Amino acid sequence: MRTKRLPDTPGLPGRRGLPRLARPPAVALVCLGLFLLCCAFVPRFASFGNIENVLRVASILCVVACGQAVVILLGGIEFSFGASAALASVVTVTALPALGPVGGLAAGGASVIAIGAVNGFLVGRLALPPVIVTLGTLMMASGAAAWLVGGLPIDAPPSAAFSWPARGRVLGVPVPILAALLACAALHLMLAHGRIGRLWYHVGANPVAARLAGLDVTRITTLGYAVAGAFCAVGAIILTSRVASGQPALAPNLPFETIAACAIGGLPLSGGRGRVSQVVFGVLTVAMLNNAVVLINLPVAWQLVLLGLAVLAAVGLQKDWAALARLARRRGR
Amino acid sequence: MSASDDAPSGDAPAEFALVATGIAKTYGATCALRSARVALRRGRVHALLGENGAGKSTLVKILVGAVRPDAGQITFAGAPVAFGSVTQAIRAGIVPIYQHLSLFPELSVHENLSAFALAAGGGLWTGRRLVEPARARGWLNEVGLDIDLATPLGSLSLGERQLVEVARALSLDCRVLVLDEPIAALNADEADRLFAVVRRLCAGGAAALFISHRFDEIEALADEVTVLRDGRTVIDAAPIGRHSREQLTHAMLGAGVEAAPARLSERAEPVLAGRGLAAGRDGRAGIDVTVHAGEIVGLAGLIGSGALSLAATLGGAQAGPGELSVGDASFTPGGRRRAAALGIAYVPADRHSEGLFGALSARRNGSVSALGPLARLGWLRARAEAQAIDPLLRRLKLHPLVPEAEAATFSGGNQQKLLIARGLAVPGLKAMVLLEPTRGVDVAARGVIHEAIREAAVAGVAVLVATSDLDELMVLAHRYLVVREGTLAAELPRGAARAALLAALSGSAAA
Repeated sequence: MRTKRLPDTPGLPGRRGLPRLARPPAVALVCLGLFLLCCAFVPRFASFGNIENVLRVASILCVVACGQAVVILLGGIEFSFGASAALASVVTVTALPALGPVGGLAAGGASVIAIGAVNGFLVGRLALPPVIVTLGTLMMASGAAAWLVGGLPIDAPPSAAFSWPARGRVLGVPVPILAALLACAALHLMLAHGRIGRLWYHVGANPVAARLAGLDVTRITTLGYAVAGAFCAVGAIILTSRVASGQPALAPNLPFETIAACAIGGLPLSGGRGRVSQVVFGVLTVAMLNNAVVLINLPVAWQLVLLGLAVLAAVGLQKDWAALARLARRRGR
Repeated sequence: MSASDDAPSGDAPAEFALVATGIAKTYGATCALRSARVALRRGRVHALLGENGAGKSTLVKILVGAVRPDAGQITFAGAPVAFGSVTQAIRAGIVPIYQHLSLFPELSVHENLSAFALAAGGGLWTGRRLVEPARARGWLNEVGLDIDLATPLGSLSLGERQLVEVARALSLDCRVLVLDEPIAALNADEADRLFAVVRRLCAGGAAALFISHRFDEIEALADEVTVLRDGRTVIDAAPIGRHSREQLTHAMLGAGVEAAPARLSERAEPVLAGRGLAAGRDGRAGIDVTVHAGEIVGLAGLIGSGALSLAATLGGAQAGPGELSVGDASFTPGGRRRAAALGIAYVPADRHSEGLFGALSARRNGSVSALGPLARLGWLRARAEAQAIDPLLRRLKLHPLVPEAEAATFSGGNQQKLLIARGLAVPGLKAMVLLEPTRGVDVAARGVIHEAIREAAVAGVAVLVATSDLDELMVLAHRYLVVREGTLAAELPRGAARAALLAALSGSAAA
């Protein structure tokens, strides 16, 4: 009677012997359901142009959500992403005359990574609570961005190199989507096969036990926040390129949308669990929700309301994800 | 399977405080309970025995309302009940005392004692949030604690905290007291106080359910015993004394288990050494300890003596004065990372908060200290990891033997085996420091863990075991170091009489 198999992540069991990567997480059901609902009831949703649009929006979100996922795995939370993306855009535009488009974007990206590293140092070395630390850097980055441009957006002079991250294509694939795929692949490699990913799981699951097992918890945490900053930096570069300007209020909802994507994906905010596929489906769900709100002509403000509801539902359901998976398995029999 | 015939089902229902029959519970692929039955008589102390994994913890969780059973019936005070939460069960008078304390270390003793009154609600703004000091003091007196109500709970010893938890139970109209391994953290004196309180409650008509692994305690306290094996009741409410210890062990395991005597290894070169250490935060510095290759040193001390603290210091887990060395390399107290790199394994006393990665698989729990050699250029080699860890899990008889299963899904004894496996997997293992290595662990797992410790010693590892369990000390250690009030009070050779050890522990006799 006792079966030899216990799922080690909440997810659908799939066929016996299927590799873990191929076993879809429970959120895939939610995502698929939402997709079918949108196709059936939302006008103009199921067109090629719209789907590509959804994927474009989702791709930026996805890159940044990969960073958020690292922080959440560590048992932390990142609120500073939106402000640091705004700072990145402002730094980029400010540095543009001196460094050119590539150098400017690189400088913007570097500033995001730096903020991530500072967060990591404060959380890891000084053991300050992540909520407070990242709220603090959010305010500082936001203030610095406004100060640098005097509060008003500054346009960047148009150039091909500058607009490539947002509008370019490689072999017909839009660059943002390519970036998202690469980000997911990189995160998957780190989490499933890399030593650093394993260490993040350990620190997130039980930091005290991690220290006593001989791990360098400070370094692992700092590195995690810095890597999260690197993911956010890629997203910030694409965003800056898209708006072609330095905007001190570029993406205020970015942290909430990425946290929402992770929560909906089923990552427990207590840390220690989660994989990339969960993040991807969480991101797609958020992007479809946002898109549907626009297409059915609801006020855009509804995006946040719906997102908030989705997050609460996801966190409320979180302990029951496993139950959902079990239900699906029973149906499948 | 074979529930004995003296199942008290025919008796008058008023005699029973709580009866649970046909209880079944499945977690995922693991069947925790198949058909369990337990019947608690008023005024009696009922012991629940079973190996880890037999379903004791699950049954207790069901009785106290923390978990809902998949099948079965629970009758409380003659009427069928289905508690939806622990709060409901507590209001009805089923009061749990957990193995893992459910107190608030940041709050004062007074506030902790008031927790149930606060949870009962309503009183948030009435200004009478805390129970009257006189009543609170009365409860403390009943459990034999004489401490100031304003004392922060965190400053008390583990044993004292447990007694506070029992004192808190007195604040309720307690009809059924459920004690999940309450003695593990108590010294003999504290245990006696607890026994007295439990008996007094029972004399007043309450029933007590008492979960323990130690026959001494069960025989001292319990009137009846129920034995679980593999999720089934195999001995149902038999009076204590009807079955011998061997019969009970046999019922628990389905097979007899012998405690083999420790094999003495040759004395060899010193491996783990500490100079000028302190036992506990208040202890004076100046303790020297040396553990030789192949030697098992037992560090004994009552709760609060500083023994565990001294052991943690030797493992590099706790900062303090003094210096440590392993072989020629030195490290500082609190330098756990360097200690691990030098080949010192450390098994903490509190496996849940300090040891286990519940969300990670059994194998990953075992490999965490060995990731260096298992990685190449930052990549983990999955096959090498399985080859390094799985044989250890097999040797420790992990049950179920599923290295991919999450650590949190295993029973307590099997979780402890994961920590032992982690220690054995430390690359270049030279010394092991183990704190309470078999606390709350069943007989079979205890035997396996002891065997693994002995094998490591025979292979030349220096082993230091800190334990408050005298039996463990005496079957395992080659010599005993006794810590009392933060000082190294005595050193006794293997074979020293139990009485001498007890005297050294309590400081009662002239040394």
